[in-house]
Amino acid sequence: MTENRTPEITMDVDIDRLIHEPARLKIMAFLSILESADFTFLVSRLGLTMGNLSAHISKLQEAGYIEVEKGYKGNRPQTQLSLTEKGSQAFQAYKNQMLQFLQ
Amino acid sequence: MNEKTNLQEIRRQVYLYYTEDGLADISLGLVLLGFGLLLLLDLPAFVGTLGLVPLLIWYLGKGSLVVPRVGSIQPGQAMKKRFMGFFINLCLVGIGVLILFLLGRGSGESFFSTYSLSLFGLVLALGISALGLLMNAARFYFYGALVFLAMAGGELLKSSISVFDPFLMGVISAGTIILAAGLILLIRFLGKFPVISLENER
Repeated sequence: MTENRTPEITMDVDIDRLIHEPARLKIMAFLSILESADFTFLVSRLGLTMGNLSAHISKLQEAGYIEVEKGYKGNRPQTQLSLTEKGSQAFQAYKNQMLQFLQ
Repeated sequence: MNEKTNLQEIRRQVYLYYTEDGLADISLGLVLLGFGLLLLLDLPAFVGTLGLVPLLIWYLGKGSLVVPRVGSIQPGQAMKKRFMGFFINLCLVGIGVLILFLLGRGSGESFFSTYSLSLFGLVLALGISALGLLMNAARFYFYGALVFLAMAGGELLKSSISVFDPFLMGVISAGTIILAAGLILLIRFLGKFPVISLENER
């Protein structure tokens, strides 16, 4: 006698959870369009507190996805952020995975 | 994250960075207003100096008003290509129109010499609208239409009104309206975005 079982759907979605978090996804998306942006720009666009944004930036920096360059512009401290090659590839891969999954 | 947020919205916000402060509107308004006033005061030799107005406003305004509030960005490769393409096309159109204008002047009562001011207005309007298209700022289409109507209307009324120069009045009025719109945008921008203190920056 053959068993009439519902076939199991295997969820094999290998998404990058570091990028998948909404705030970090937006940071990556902004930086993917720009050559670089400063900290103030991201604070003004994302509506996050500085501490919160710093925490997300640290995680992305630790993963090697973004590069952080600190300096001064006039008397104002300025932190420039840009996507690294690894970050750019990771973001592209994330986009492809999401598109593939949602098709 | 807002459910409407997607890459297109992110891109729109990046372009908004260049136009939401109203400095581009103020520059355009001041150039038109200055152009009209200088010609009205019979000082055409100073018209060339108006080219410095956008540069000064951009440099001073961005540095002192915009960057402390919304930071600064460097456009990516795709954006740079788009900006460059826009300026090359604009230069080509400008050179083409200048050649037509000069050819028209040499041929007596030609179409180009009869409607030279309207054509100038049309080119200016197209340039302003193209800027709107480039920056995703629809209000620049309105500015383009306003400038064209002011210049073409002024030229048409020139023969029937002798008390004042309707062309110059049109240019001055259009400049004043655009300048006022820019100032309103700037005031709204200053209210919306307070200066971000960087003391606590990482």
